[in-house]
Order: sequence, then C-alpha cells, then structure tokens
Amino acid sequence: MIEITFEDVCAAYGERTIFSGLSKRIPGGRITAVTGENGSGKSTFLRLAGHLLRAHEGKVSVCVDGQELRQAELRSHLAMVTPELRFYSYLTARENMEFLLGLRGITLTDAMYQDGLRQVGLSEEKLEGKYAGAFSTGMRQRLKLAVLFLSGADIWLLDEPGANLDTAGKTMVLQAARKAADAGKLVLLATNDSGEEAAADDTICL
Amino acid sequence: MIPSAFEGARIILRKELRISFRQQAGWCAMLMFALTTLACVSLSLTGGVLEPKLQAALLWVILFFASMAGADRGFADEDMAGTLPALRLYGASQGVLWGKTAYTFFLLLALALFTVPLYLIFLDVIVVNAVWLWGTVVAGLAGLAIAGTLLGALATGASVRGGLFTVLMLPVILPVFLPAIALTGAAFGGEEASASYLLGIVLYDLVLGVAASLLFDYLWYED
Amino acid sequence: MPIIHYLVAALTLAVLFAVFFIVPPAEGLGNYVRLAFFHIPVAWVSVLAFLLSAWWGQKVLRHHDMTADAKSAVSARLGFIFTVLATLSGAVFSKLTWGSYWNWDPRQTTIFVLLLIYGAYLTLRMAMPDRERRAKVSAVYALFSFLTVPFLVFTIPRLYFSLHPQPVLNASGHIDMDPVFLWTLIASLVDMTLIYWGLLHHGVHGHGNKKIGKDGASA
Repeated sequence: MIEITFEDVCAAYGERTIFSGLSKRIPGGRITAVTGENGSGKSTFLRLAGHLLRAHEGKVSVCVDGQELRQAELRSHLAMVTPELRFYSYLTARENMEFLLGLRGITLTDAMYQDGLRQVGLSEEKLEGKYAGAFSTGMRQRLKLAVLFLSGADIWLLDEPGANLDTAGKTMVLQAARKAADAGKLVLLATNDSGEEAAADDTICL
Repeated sequence: MIPSAFEGARIILRKELRISFRQQAGWCAMLMFALTTLACVSLSLTGGVLEPKLQAALLWVILFFASMAGADRGFADEDMAGTLPALRLYGASQGVLWGKTAYTFFLLLALALFTVPLYLIFLDVIVVNAVWLWGTVVAGLAGLAIAGTLLGALATGASVRGGLFTVLMLPVILPVFLPAIALTGAAFGGEEASASYLLGIVLYDLVLGVAASLLFDYLWYED
Repeated sequence: MPIIHYLVAALTLAVLFAVFFIVPPAEGLGNYVRLAFFHIPVAWVSVLAFLLSAWWGQKVLRHHDMTADAKSAVSARLGFIFTVLATLSGAVFSKLTWGSYWNWDPRQTTIFVLLLIYGAYLTLRMAMPDRERRAKVSAVYALFSFLTVPFLVFTIPRLYFSLHPQPVLNASGHIDMDPVFLWTLIASLVDMTLIYWGLLHHGVHGHGNKKIGKDGASA
C-alpha cells in the first residue's frame, strides 16, 4: 500500500511563506483533492508530495508497504499532469511518448500506443506526421494524460487535469482517476473545479 | 522498472540527435559562430607568420570560444523549451548525464572537424604530427563535453544567461587547455612536448567524469 | 568573544613589531622581505578559504545544511578579497625585486586561476534567484572547481619558468631559514588565519552580512 505523509511541512518561495506547519496523511486507493485559492500553494503541495521540491522545514515521506522511497526509485513511481510539463516540439506524439516511457524502461508497442490514444480520445490519423509543437492545448493535455496512463505509475499527481478539456474530456479524467484509485493507486488532484472536487474522497484545503 | 544508465543514455542520445537534425538552426548558429571566430582571428593576422606555439594557442582559443556556443546545449535547450520538468520527472540521473555528455561530445567533435581543417588552411599551418594533434583535440573536447554538461545543468535557472556559462567553464577547463596548447604546439613543429601531458589530460577527463557523475545526482534529485 | 578579539589584536601588533623592528633585512631582498610576512599569510588564507568553502559545500549537499551554505558563501567572499590582496602584494613584490608587476610566474598563474574560480563562484551565486537552488549549485561548483587545483599545481610549474623563491620546506625536508624569520612567519600565518576566522564568524552570525546571515539562520 502506498502512502504519502507530510510532517509539519513549511513551504516558501524566497521570502514569501506559502504554508507552514502542515501535517497530512494521504493514503493510496483514494482520490484526494487539494483545493485553495490562487497562490495558496496547490501546485507546490503536489511538487512536495513527489519530492520534486524540498520542504523548507519538516518532512515529506513517500512509503510503499512501509518502505520509504527516494530519488530514482521514487520517481519511477511518479506520473504527473501539470501545466509546467511540456513536450518536445520537434518530436511527434509517438516519439515523445516513446522517449518519456522509454526512460522508464517501457517499450511502446503499436497496441499500447493505440490503446493510450483511444483512452484519451485522440485519433491516430490526426497526429500522424505532426510535431508536438503544432498541437492544440487540448491535444497536449490529452497526450500528457496518455503518457500518465501508460506509465503504470502508482502515484498520480494531477494539477488541474481538466484544464483545456471539453466536458467529455473532464469526465474521462475523473473516470480514469476513479479506476486508478480503485486499483490501489494514490491520486492527488489539485483543483478549483467544483466537479473535480466533488469526485474526490478526501479534500485538503490550503 | 528503472532502465540501466547505459540504456537511459542511449535513449537520451537518440532523442537529442533526432531533434538536432530536425532543428537545423542550432547547427547553423554553432558552425557560423565558429566560422566567425575563425574569420576574426585569421583576418586580423592576414599575412603574418606565427610561431608554432602561438598557432597552437590561437587554435585553442578559437576552439574554446566556438565550443561555448555548443557545450551547454544539452541543458540550455531543454531549459529554454521548458521541457526540463518532464525530463526530470521521467529520466534517471546517470542516464540523463551521460546521454547529454555523449551528445555534447558529438557536437564538439563535429565543430572541431569543421574548424580545425579551416584553421590549418587559413593560417597555413604545417602539421608535423597529425596523430598528436587529433589525439589532443579529442581528449580536450572530451573534457569540455563533460564539464560543459555538468556546468550547463548548473546554469539552468540562472537569472543571467549571457556569459555565465563561459565564466564557469574557464577555470575548470584550464588543466585541459594549458597542456593541450603545449601538445598542439609540438604537433605544429614547435618545442617538443612530453607525452605525459596527453596522459594528464586523459586523467583529468576521468576525474571530471567521476566528479560529474557523483555531483549530478545532487542536482537532479531534491531528496 | 571579546577576549579573543583582544588576543588577535595583540598578536597582530606583535607580528607588526617583529616584522618592522626585529626581522633583519634579508640577503638579496633587503627590506622588501618584510612584505613577505603579509604576502605569504594572505596567499595561504586564499587557499584555505577555498578549501573550506568546498568543505562546507559538501555539507550543504549531504545534509541540506543552510548554515553551511552561509559559511561557504562568506568564506568565498573573504577568499576573493584575500586572493586580490595576495595578487596585488605579489605584484608589488615582483616589481620591486624582479622589475615587472606581472610575468606569469607559476604561482602568479595559480593564484590568478584561483581568482577566476572565486569570481565565477560569486557570479553564480548572484545569478541564482532561488535560495535552495543557489545553495545547491554553488556547492556543486565549489567542489567541481576544487578538482582543478591539484592538476594546476602539477601542470603549471612544468609550463612556466619560475622566479619564485624555493618553498620554505625544501625537497630534503630541511627548513632552510633563519629562526627569527621562521617564527615571525609562523606567527603571521597564525595571525592571518585567526583574522580570517574572525571575519568569517562575523560574516555568518554578525551584522556584517545581513542577507546571508538571515538566510542561514532561518533554515
């Protein structure tokens, strides 16, 4: 079972303290929403949870079956969809996916590629021969989700995953998140969308 | 499952090569920069005859400054395109470091294959010992590639870009630079240089490699 | 703390007295030799400050110790100033004894490289806006550039001709120096090291360096 624990964590950017004295336990198998107004540190919270940022004070630990994960091992459990992730604009969708998944030791087969695209509602013909630089924002968002699904990671850090998606897209994200949580994965969802918040099992308000 | 560092490096290198062949502007800028540096030196010397030691020194000055436009490309490009967070999320440190180093080495080698022959022609240099010359160039560029990759990663996130990388590079690369000039001078028919210099450069390359490998983990991971 | 201040002040006065009134003019160098009691300690501290800066850098990386980052930064700043002083006093000494300020003597070259490293390190610090990242990258740079030192010490003397006097401790292990001279030199080395240490302490904890001190203390 996977679990992330925040112990008395303080986060700061330069002189500005974002939050302090935060202690939380985030269990796997559930969807946990992180809410709060703009600038309250939702994205920072997600980055702290994935050890992509160091806590100013306090400790964030990620454990699988009581074993603490660090560095490369921890990263191999992580997948994210955040606005700050970008694709290589001179690679096609498939090459981008092949590259990122390849770094995780996953070989992208035709079947996996088609399956990934189908899950996020992208058509293969539309992507054929196009570089990622030419994609629309919505297409990129879907592609990020496809990489996340195919990575097999068991910690999902989603920052506004429904952004730039139509209603069907938003529903697809929430359904996938639910399925992942049911399979024991840890889903952390930073959002300001009331629909996404309602779909979560727990809410952390910053 | 985490792939081995070698496999990771291979994947990174393949991606870098693929992108660099599609985005030809990078090559153009780098080679034109080298040509400009070269032209600057040879135009200002028109007709003058230099002794071998000075010829060697000028060659390395040109190589150093020309390579400054390419040696940090591994990370500077990612930083500029905003793709660094994705790479950090999916890539393991050693694969990234060595894949980028291999790519940088390839870039610098291409640069030298372009610059050195032109330099020899423009300045009418007589090469007495070609093996020494190219051995020194390859060993020197390996050091530049290793230091450049680590320091390029270091310089990402800086508020000042222009010049910072060069400033960081020079002191670190001097132990390659100084013996390389002596060796190249000998290859141009100047004063004899001891073979131990070449060994010294190779040894320094190895030390830089080990240090880069150890230090890069601290840059790549936050925990 | 003040007691130590008085002791250092007393030692400094004693060293100054010895340098100007006890040490005899040296053979060949005459009264110029008195400059050596400033030049050698300052050059020693230049190297020591760099070594310590790298040492604290290693602590930053291994233990995320932000106080060590403040120490590393102050040490590098002091080191830079001491290196400038060593370079200048060396140049003056060189002009007085050999007739030119600069001649790329091996040790002049080495100290010049040290100056470049300090300059690069301090530039890097200034260019990094984020505090955590600044601590990390400057520690990595301090350690990485530290590697060059043994290679330069090995390479440079082979490439440049030297005018510098023989090292105090020569190859045979003999100390070939007048006892008055030697003791004054040792006292001046100790004195300069204590001055460096005091300034470092002041820089990290005192008012001398508010920004870095606060950064260090709040971590």
